[in-house]
Amino acid sequence: MKFFESYKKQILIVLAIFLLVASVFTAGKTGNANFIESTLGFIVTPLQKVSTNISSFFDDKFHNIKNQSDLKAENEELKSEIERLERENKRLSLLDEENKKLSALLEIAQKYAAYDTTASQIIAKDPGNWYNIFVMDKGTKDGISANMVLTAEGGLVGKITEAGYTYSKGMSILDSRSSVSAMSVRTGDLGIVKGDYTLMNDGLCKMEYINSDAEIMEGDEIITSHLSDVYPPGISIGVVKEVKTDSNGLTKYAIIEPHVDFKHLDTILIISENGKMSDVSSQNEEVED
Amino acid sequence: MRTRIITTSLILILNLILQSTLFQAIRIANIIPNTSIIIIISYAILRGRTEGAAVGCFSGILTDIFFGTSFGFYGLLGMLTGYLCGRSFHHLYRENYLLPIMISAIAVFIYENIIYLTGFLFSGNTEYFYFLIHLIIPEMVYTAVFSIIIYRLLFALNDWLEDKEKYRYRLF
Repeated sequence: MKFFESYKKQILIVLAIFLLVASVFTAGKTGNANFIESTLGFIVTPLQKVSTNISSFFDDKFHNIKNQSDLKAENEELKSEIERLERENKRLSLLDEENKKLSALLEIAQKYAAYDTTASQIIAKDPGNWYNIFVMDKGTKDGISANMVLTAEGGLVGKITEAGYTYSKGMSILDSRSSVSAMSVRTGDLGIVKGDYTLMNDGLCKMEYINSDAEIMEGDEIITSHLSDVYPPGISIGVVKEVKTDSNGLTKYAIIEPHVDFKHLDTILIISENGKMSDVSSQNEEVED
Repeated sequence: MRTRIITTSLILILNLILQSTLFQAIRIANIIPNTSIIIIISYAILRGRTEGAAVGCFSGILTDIFFGTSFGFYGLLGMLTGYLCGRSFHHLYRENYLLPIMISAIAVFIYENIIYLTGFLFSGNTEYFYFLIHLIIPEMVYTAVFSIIIYRLLFALNDWLEDKEKYRYRLF
């Protein structure tokens, strides 16, 4: 203790320099968490899970009291929706079979391959006001690793920026540091979907760098393009809400309304692009060794 | 000293957990009060710059690990906040009720401006007044309101700890 007392100024300066250097060198890196981070996560994440569950329990209770009358009607509606979707699903699986046979005949690879998925719960959200980062309750022990893609309700949510042993950190597409290469389904126009702080709180994002003579318009479906090495092609992002021309007059940008309701997001599907989750986890172990 | 370290770390971990989970429900216009800054300035006012810096550093590193994209940014920022507040405000009259409100508002202003400068202005975002009106000022007000309660709690805790330590360590 006496050592700390007499050298406290020097210790503070060394610590400050260390943090400065560390923050410069680790900026923007994605990867898996180190031992210290994983240990802290091991302690903190169960508590966060408990706390989130308590708050969502009360949220549900209040919600139920408010909407009790609507529940019955909603239930009926959902049942008929399920029936419709089941029928659709059967039809689509037949089409899928046919597609596989035909593409085998033509000897081309499947464009929209079936990816392995795991469900995960959001247990904590960003404590600051600037960004949109969240923590999920699955980590490297469940085969999760950085740069895996997150979806919910059929739309893109974001990607994993860091995976610890029991937790993983995700960045949503609304975060102003996120960018996703995207494409309009109808016209095939390419662009980059970026987060924007002025739109983040309304749950919207922006598609930038669209060619000025692109025929993109309101209501167009936007999906991830084949240009990205993180996001697999064909995941739907959202619908165009508005198209505007940039001030330079050379490019357009569009305001995108994502399919996902980011305010009430709690369960997430993690997609592993390279095959099965178990393969991924064994790869991770090899890397650690 | 050991009791102090343990209680402080527990407070900081509890703060991180609450801020990332339960306090998400009290967002007004998407603004959440910055409770970690209140804890940092409380320690700085009550205990001086060294402890302010230590508490700020630890609290920032926790944020870095769970919500940051680079290790050390929030740690450094929290440490600077703690050190500067402790250096400037440690000799003020600590029982004052207005003091923590004003200091936390100023600390939030400087803290958020540094985040804007490094994270947004450097990446080409020049809408400073949008951020000032929609984020920084609401957060200052909201944090200042919360600082009344949290400062009093930490003040009482500090009294209890100092009372315990009185016979073992020289205080002044």
